[in-house]
Amino acid sequence: MMGLSKKVILLGHFGVGKTSLIQRFVHQKFSEKYLTTIGVKIDKKVITVEGRELSMLIWDIAGESTQQKVPESYKLGAHGAIYVFDLTRPSSYDLIEQEVSHLKNILPPIPFVLVGNKRDLLTEEEFNALQKKLPAYDYIFSSAKTGEGVEEMFFYLAKQMLQ
Amino acid sequence: MHKAREQRPLKKDLITTFTLIKVDKNKADTDKSQLLLRLRDLLLEEDRRKIQSIDMEVTALAREFNNRKMLAIKIDPIVQEHLDKLKEDFPTLFGPVITQTIKYQIKNSQNEVVDALYPIVGKLIRKYIAREIEIISEKVDRQLARAFSWQGWLRKIKAWFSGTSETDIVLQGLAEPAIEEIFVIEQDSGMLYGSYSRSKNMDQDMIAGMLTAIKSFVADAFQKGEQEPESIEYESYHIVFKNFKTYFLAIAVSGTMTASFKDRLESTVLNFAEQLRRQAETSNGESEDMFSGYLEKYFNELDDGPK
Repeated sequence: MMGLSKKVILLGHFGVGKTSLIQRFVHQKFSEKYLTTIGVKIDKKVITVEGRELSMLIWDIAGESTQQKVPESYKLGAHGAIYVFDLTRPSSYDLIEQEVSHLKNILPPIPFVLVGNKRDLLTEEEFNALQKKLPAYDYIFSSAKTGEGVEEMFFYLAKQMLQ
Repeated sequence: MHKAREQRPLKKDLITTFTLIKVDKNKADTDKSQLLLRLRDLLLEEDRRKIQSIDMEVTALAREFNNRKMLAIKIDPIVQEHLDKLKEDFPTLFGPVITQTIKYQIKNSQNEVVDALYPIVGKLIRKYIAREIEIISEKVDRQLARAFSWQGWLRKIKAWFSGTSETDIVLQGLAEPAIEEIFVIEQDSGMLYGSYSRSKNMDQDMIAGMLTAIKSFVADAFQKGEQEPESIEYESYHIVFKNFKTYFLAIAVSGTMTASFKDRLESTVLNFAEQLRRQAETSNGESEDMFSGYLEKYFNELDDGPK
């Protein structure tokens, strides 16, 4: 193994599109088929950030209705985390404040990105209305289907991890 | 008379007037009808054109429809698209049905299935056994060639002292344990510190991550507190875990794990751990490839030693 490596964990409810985001980022693919992740799946992508080669080990952790159910051992030693929710499914972001607070309690102070996925399924009006309803955090809005925001979220996290 | 004389011009006048009116009325009717014709032309001209165009299109479509070649140009891409979709979705759509059908067929026509599969399976098994015998035969040849060598005499003495037959010792030697892969993995994160592999088939970082996840999953699932899984067995492979405070070693071994090999592995691991401790004291904690050289050195010695 050469160069610098960082562990990134993807968290969130089941079916929010974590695996699809990784597929899009690592393999530039998207599938409409839904296959639930069992346990954890690990992918790797080597990127260049600010002239430095960084190997991102991305842990796609199986979705749970609450983050308290996710085995803590999977989160150990993470250098960065991405919490994904589904913009079309309120149950995936209704308790976002509690989820974020829980994660910040159990994780060390590592870069953390909140991602609202499936942006392509909302109209401009629905999206604007939803943005007003979401708690005041910084979000990245993405679509694994169109690729919108996908590179942005991983590169943003990579830059944060290297700082 | 006067009256009659007076009436004559009046009648004539009346007839003239009536004739004029009649002529005027005929002219008006003609004008009206022409106007109606013009109006009709104006109103229906566009419809007529449309009807004409539709008529032409229908004729063209009928020509295309009745001409196989022309129809194929239109329909083939659609049929092809549906076929491609069907091909793609076939396993999902029909997989369970086919599985059920095969199960049903096997259950109800066992003899026929056996008759059909026997020649194929038989050939496969025969081929596999022949290949394995060939490998064993080559190994036995090599062992026999060493019969009067230093190793041959050593084996004879070992057999004499241990009470084990020389054949058993030779056979044991055929499934010698060998180290295939070693990973030095950070305990919590699963990040790879270093690795050594005979055949680099898969991404080492991903294997390290998955091994950590499996280990963590087993520990979590059985809630054994400080206890950790010590090994995983897969066919003729053993993945041995050696846990230390901040990292663990995952060693993939092929062949039969003998007691003496386990002992030597344990001692090599301890020596390596000591080397690693010294190395870690001077490193900056980044998961650089700093151990791979040591791994190769230590574990090659183990492979080369007595089994």
